[in-house]
Amino acid sequence: MSAVLELREVTLRYPDGTLGCRDVSFDLFAGEVIGIVGESGSGKSTVVGCASLDLIPSSGRVVVAGEDVTGIRGARRRRLRCESIGTVYQTPQQGLDFSLTAGGNVASTMLGAGWRSFGRVRERALAYHVAMELPAERFDVPVELFSGGMRQRVQLAKALASAPPLLLLDEPTASLDVSVQARILDLVRRLQLERRFAMLVVSHDLAVMRMLADRLLVMYRGEVVERGLTDQILGDPQHPYTQLLVSAQLIA
Amino acid sequence: MGEFTDVTPSLSKRELGDLARRGGRSAGYRFAYLDESAKRDVRRALLKAICIPGHQVPFASREMPVARGWGSGGLQVTLATLVAQDVVKVYDQGDDESMNAIAIRDLIRRTAGVATTTDARAATLIQTRHRIPEDALHEDQVLVFQVPIADPLRIVDARPSVTRRLHAERDYAPIWLYLYEDLARRDRSSFSHSHPVLVDGSYVMSPSPIPRHDVPRLHHAPFLALFGAGREAIVYAVPPYTRVEPVTFEDRPFETERGEAACALCGATATFLVEDDATSEHRWICSDVDHCVRTRGGR
Repeated sequence: MSAVLELREVTLRYPDGTLGCRDVSFDLFAGEVIGIVGESGSGKSTVVGCASLDLIPSSGRVVVAGEDVTGIRGARRRRLRCESIGTVYQTPQQGLDFSLTAGGNVASTMLGAGWRSFGRVRERALAYHVAMELPAERFDVPVELFSGGMRQRVQLAKALASAPPLLLLDEPTASLDVSVQARILDLVRRLQLERRFAMLVVSHDLAVMRMLADRLLVMYRGEVVERGLTDQILGDPQHPYTQLLVSAQLIA
Repeated sequence: MGEFTDVTPSLSKRELGDLARRGGRSAGYRFAYLDESAKRDVRRALLKAICIPGHQVPFASREMPVARGWGSGGLQVTLATLVAQDVVKVYDQGDDESMNAIAIRDLIRRTAGVATTTDARAATLIQTRHRIPEDALHEDQVLVFQVPIADPLRIVDARPSVTRRLHAERDYAPIWLYLYEDLARRDRSSFSHSHPVLVDGSYVMSPSPIPRHDVPRLHHAPFLALFGAGREAIVYAVPPYTRVEPVTFEDRPFETERGEAACALCGATATFLVEDDATSEHRWICSDVDHCVRTRGGR
């Protein structure tokens, strides 16, 4: 079985010298869900940024569906992002253009992948819009008029619209209230079970991880300090930081 | 500049004719107003533009005796390409007698001593603002378009640094998204003019604010089309017989304005019509005044 996403010794140092992540390696296989946990500033979003092709590693390789994409730039990179990788960002501002309609945001994925039939783009966008449990009558309404939960659903529709083999979720529910969080996570889990895309989820919420992730990577100060099956890590954490994380969660 | 001397060894017949025609022009000005280095700069930019159809080429836009945004770009292109045998037509949204058209035509005539005409068929060089004459044009003609906004991607991103990169990579997804939003919200395109076109299958270009009626007439046109934006210091070009296709979804064919009526003056139905603002009654008349007058047998 070939990996949908491979990271090989990925190190990223930001221009101001801050270390984003160091020597991060993992394979994500088709249909699999990997979770990344760690405290704020531990490098989770940097890893997702490298995987989503938003960031370019200082060293190491990013391989998507067997193709080394580390050096790909410009239009081909943007196209690859539309065709092969769906990303849901922590805040909808990062992933959506609020001045566009919900449909337009979803359509941008297909238009970026080279679709040129208005009818087909619209049909597909509407299908995803509805599949994300968004009301069809809000399809042609600008996203700026949407609630936070609805905006995250639009992000999901946009990320999935080209049926990418890989979905990246960077704390998709961090900015939502608890009941909305639960419904969105439910939706994500159902979609993942139905469509079997590979998924990389970032969260510092261990309950979310227990529900979604098959395997976990624990990050601390830019490095992966522990990895393994989710149940195993949450049940028997080895690294001191992981132990702290798990115990803090249990007390709370 | 004072170092330059004319080292032309012998004059061709064409050049002699050129010199002869220059006799009648205003004293104190060089032929066609611009100095030679300015003309050379514009021509160099135009040559590059013709070689790369639809690509925006910067040039050193000069101060002109018309304000920037009032045809200064078209005027510089005209003056830099003009030869004394040219017969010039200046055309402003279909009208040869608008104040701006008169002023520009007068400037060209007085500084270059060239003949002028209002008949598009007789002209060798037509400077135009936002129209293509209704007459069938031919290979020996040059159309110079006045351009207010050169970059068709300006509407999706105002930063030239961004749009230049999009053009360089032929990444036109943003303009497709713009068209999608138009159709989704209004069920029609909002481009009543300046509908973006794909030139030679490569660059997306603004055809200048010509009506939709004129856009298909750029496709495989026999004439050379030069575009000058003086305020933005950009020229671009479409050589004769080049593919020029409106950017439109494959299931939404490009549509021109539907004429609801015939011209109230000449009865034409296939021309571009505008509302007559000279009378109180509501009626449609040809936008191309000279063509309309000729159709009526006035000339």
